[in-house]
Formats: sequence, C-alpha cells, structure tokens
Amino acid sequence: MKALLICPAIRPAVPHLAADGPLATTPILGDCFVSHWIENLTGLGASQIQIVASDGADRVRAAVGDGARWGVRITVIACNVEPTKEEAASRHNPEGEPGWLPAPHDIVPMSHLPGCPDLPLFESYASWFAALLAWMPKAMTPARVRVTEARPGVWVGSRSRVAPTAKLIAPCWVGDQVSVAKDTVVGPCAILEDRTVVESGARVTQSWVGPDTFVGPMTSVENSLAWGSSLIDWRTDSSLRVPDQFLLSSLARLQSVATTDRYGRSLGTQARAETNSELITTLRARLDRGSNQKLPG
Amino acid sequence: MKIESKGECLSISEIQELTAANSARFRDEVQFALSGSPSVVEINLSQTRFMDSSGLGALFALYRATAKRHGVVLRLLNPTSEIQQLLELTQMQQLFEIVRR
Repeated sequence: MKALLICPAIRPAVPHLAADGPLATTPILGDCFVSHWIENLTGLGASQIQIVASDGADRVRAAVGDGARWGVRITVIACNVEPTKEEAASRHNPEGEPGWLPAPHDIVPMSHLPGCPDLPLFESYASWFAALLAWMPKAMTPARVRVTEARPGVWVGSRSRVAPTAKLIAPCWVGDQVSVAKDTVVGPCAILEDRTVVESGARVTQSWVGPDTFVGPMTSVENSLAWGSSLIDWRTDSSLRVPDQFLLSSLARLQSVATTDRYGRSLGTQARAETNSELITTLRARLDRGSNQKLPG
Repeated sequence: MKIESKGECLSISEIQELTAANSARFRDEVQFALSGSPSVVEINLSQTRFMDSSGLGALFALYRATAKRHGVVLRLLNPTSEIQQLLELTQMQQLFEIVRR
C-alpha cells in the first residue's frame, strides 16, 4: 500500500523550532517528527511512502534513509512550495489508483501528530506544547524499547540516570540517556528529550527541554521551551538567548558533513550531533568555583 | 545610566544593558547613592535589553545591601520580557518586588 506525507514548510509562528533544521526533523519525544508519521503509516499497512519536502529535503532524506528501519520503501521528493493535500493528490495520484491507503491516511499533511488531528502543532508555541503533552501516552508504541513507563504518567529512558532524591511528577517524560541530578523537580507536564542534563536543585515544570540541553543547578524552567541556550516562554512567545552557559546551554556540537557519491555529486548535508563532554567538564568546574566564591554586597 | 533621588525614593533608569562590562560601576554607584538613606529603591529595567550573570550578581548585591537596611523597599520596574525570563530562570523574581506601571 502507498501513502504520501507532506512535510511542513517554515511556519512563521514557531521560527525557533526550525532553527537547526526543517520542522519535519524536529525532535519529539525521542524521535524526529517525520519518523513518528512513518511508524504510524507503517502500522496501518503502508509499504511505500513518498515524502514531499519543501524545506530541507536533504535533511529529511538523511533522517529517514530509504525506509529500511521500518521495513518500507521511502522516497523523498524535494519541491519548492509546500503543496496542499489536493495539489499533492493531483500530482502524485491523479487517477485515484488502487493500492493506496484509504483516506485520510493516503495523503497526510504533517500539521499534527498521528492520532491527534484536533491539536495543530505549528500555530503557536503553546499549541505545539499542548500537542506534545496530549500525545505523550501515545508515543509508547511497540517499537519503542528504550523508554518505559516507570509508573503511571512517568516515562523514563532505560539508559537515563535519575538521582534518588529527584522528584518526577506525572505527567512527565524523561528521554533516553538523560541525567537528572539530586533534588531536582521534573513535572508536572515536563518533557526532557534525549541526552538532556538537569543539574541539582533545578526545576522543570510545564516545559519542554530539547535534546542535548544543559539545565544548570538551581535554575527554574517553567512554562517554557528550552533548547540549547534558547528559552521561549510558550505563553507569551517571548524568547531569550541565555548568555551564561552554566544556566542553560547546548551540549551538542553540530557538525556539518558534506557527503558526495562516487561520481562526486553532492548528496546534501548531513547533520551529526555529538555530545560535548569537554563542555560538561568545563561547566562543572566553573560551577564548583562559583560555589566557593563570596557573593558581593 | 541615570540615578535620581526624589524625596525618599532612589530611582535608577536608562540601563541599556547590565553585563560584566558595567555591573561593577552600576553596583558602586548605586551603593554610593544608598548612603542618602532612601526608603524606596526603584530600578527601571524597561530599556534593559541584555543582562548576564554579572548583571544578576549586581542586582543580588543590591538586594543584600537593601536587606541590611530594615524597611528599605527594592523594586524592579517594567522589566522587558527577556529580562523577566532571565529572572524567572534564575528564580531571582522571588527576591524582588516586580512592578509594571
């Protein structure tokens, strides 16, 4: 069975989500957005999936590959303008051929998460956060083996470390390879994406923390989306680039690796995130020094 | 930066940024102005576009200095949304009376 996914182009209401790549590859609960849709369509019986991408088609192609991960065949088609559902239908299946998934799963504009059509993702940061929270229980698909429900409403990655004195309040999601230090409070309504480090005494409530983000000791992330050093208040859309790394910063170093095929043609740019252990060490040293300093006054 | 004394109120305004570059001067000048024994200290942050941990440290120093003088009220006026976020991130909004006028 065939299906077609329409990736979202840039959405002016949520510019920060596309700062590091197209919206289709935005990390959501441990996987990128488009991967969740592929998994959903595969579960419905799709074996061939076409993906139309008007923004960052190379990045989308790098994220999904040829579909072997899901046991399907995937083709990524680059285009200049994001087509509507009708335009995509007229271009890719004008005759209404058989062999496609039944509507509405045949052609899917990726404006929401699977199974949540009433919760648009990209209308505002608030709508994005609300959609993620609502989708949290549905994210635990059979293919998800590295995250388990530790207790009702609390999901924790199997390779994550949570200090015994840390408080996890449902609903909350602690992704894979996350470190949650002592005396922290995570939740309610908190999502820590993969490889996040939350230092002692910090508090994360009503917030989403992006992957590879360092949340410094005693900091309070509330009603916000924190990704790298960017902090966005989802209630007001106000955004801040936090100047001090020991408060909030990125632990990832994006390395752009240009790849070429054997004929020397560019296959696009592949982004690879590497956890910067040196940065963590430096930050910890700075924090240790800071705690021994006398405060002025 | 502008420091004005209006009766018992010490008003500090026109702070474009509060960083490592100017926080020591800010702290010293305000500490000096505190010798006039004001009962209210108001720091207008409506024009402050950038603040780092040094700036937060200067505000904290001022908080401690006024806390030692019983009865002195310290207010932050109209912080921009970015500064408000920074105060909330560092939980410093709990220390100050934040007023919007």
